[in-house]
Amino acid sequence: MKEKTSGERELWSKVTSMLGSRKKVLGRHWSYNLLSDPKRLGFVLSRYKFAAKMTGRQKRVLELGCSEGIGTPILAEFAVSYTGVDMDSSAIATAKENWEHDKWKFVEADFMGQRYGTFDSIISLDVIEHIHLEFEPLFFDTVRQNLGEDGICLVGTPNVTSAPYASVGSQRGHVNLYDAGRLETAMRTVFHNVFMFGINDEIVHTGYAPMTHYLMALGCNKRAGGN
Amino acid sequence: MEKEHAVWDEVTQMMGDKRIALGRYLAYWFERTPRRALYYSSYYKFAAKMIGRNKRVLDVGCSEGLGTWLLAAECGFARGIDPDEEAIGVAKGNWPEQKVEFLCADFLKSPPGQWDGVVSFDVIEHILPENASRFLENTAANLTPHGVAVVGTPNLSGQVYASEVAKAGHINVYSAERLEAELHRYFTHVFMFGANDEVVHTGFAPMAHYLIAVGCKKLK
Repeated sequence: MKEKTSGERELWSKVTSMLGSRKKVLGRHWSYNLLSDPKRLGFVLSRYKFAAKMTGRQKRVLELGCSEGIGTPILAEFAVSYTGVDMDSSAIATAKENWEHDKWKFVEADFMGQRYGTFDSIISLDVIEHIHLEFEPLFFDTVRQNLGEDGICLVGTPNVTSAPYASVGSQRGHVNLYDAGRLETAMRTVFHNVFMFGINDEIVHTGYAPMTHYLMALGCNKRAGGN
Repeated sequence: MEKEHAVWDEVTQMMGDKRIALGRYLAYWFERTPRRALYYSSYYKFAAKMIGRNKRVLDVGCSEGLGTWLLAAECGFARGIDPDEEAIGVAKGNWPEQKVEFLCADFLKSPPGQWDGVVSFDVIEHILPENASRFLENTAANLTPHGVAVVGTPNLSGQVYASEVAKAGHINVYSAERLEAELHRYFTHVFMFGANDEVVHTGFAPMAHYLIAVGCKKLK
């Protein structure tokens, strides 16, 4: 018996050694999220996975509002490059610390009106609801300026119909909540084709929009002009 | 229960007295694999959502028109086309409404129209591989410049479990990679989805029972 146990232990330590020894420390946002609402990790990562699947392989990816880079490894896994931008300095510091990679880049900045290059895919999750309505055109102009002709863009934001159930903290920050129709209309200022998805927990679907917890708009076929 | 019955009668009156007939295809499904109606409806609903409202949609291989009607109801207008005269007859009998029409014709031999959406479910696997490119080319040719194509077909990896009837007809079964690559010859953007039962998703492609490709921004 004893011999068998040590055999299994040895095998397990071999497996462990294959994992390397890198460690990561989450920043204040994700540490807080994991403490207060751990299931949030599941559905946030699910949004990123959907974004990555829609993006496809071998693309140049820009994330507007990357925070601590919790979605970076999923967005960047099959990408040729990844750039994450956020104005939260401690979040960007965490991202840089955790996701050091020669093809991944983090920028601490207010991205509004800035150009970071020409990208194939722009992802912006949980950002637009924090931007005052008067700056909505600037947000979409920023998307337009950074996106290549054949680029795609995925914008995700909580549905306005879910606002009454949001936490006090969330309600405080959400100054511009969208319903599906308004998000689609806004995306159409940049794109000829806009595909609307809903997400409840981890499940991405195309069900009845007002009962969708979170909205995701996929835009492609960029309109001419504006550049 | 008299009062309840009266209310129920009232509700029944509100529905009208229309009857939908199931032809030989749908009747066979409902007898043999009734759950098939669920996922068939689900694919069409997904296509309708991708194409959007106030659109004109062509449903290629519409059979008895169940899905065509869903497209018409959700998108605004749909035309179903199928070479099977009997199935088209059933469809015409069921749906005389203005927002839907049916045509008994061969898609590959019909002059292309200009549609906002072209949908084909369970069609391309019945087309000989040498004709498949013509099928996709014609799909693109039938679209407006900003039109959207939705192509659904069983996944190659699921074929080992297919019924004898299904296998007998499937002469060109696709993997996700091949379907995506072939659509990319006609469309700039191709978004790949999988479906297992009614659930449309973006999970690991070889384990998807059914494949749904969405193409747009057709190449000139």
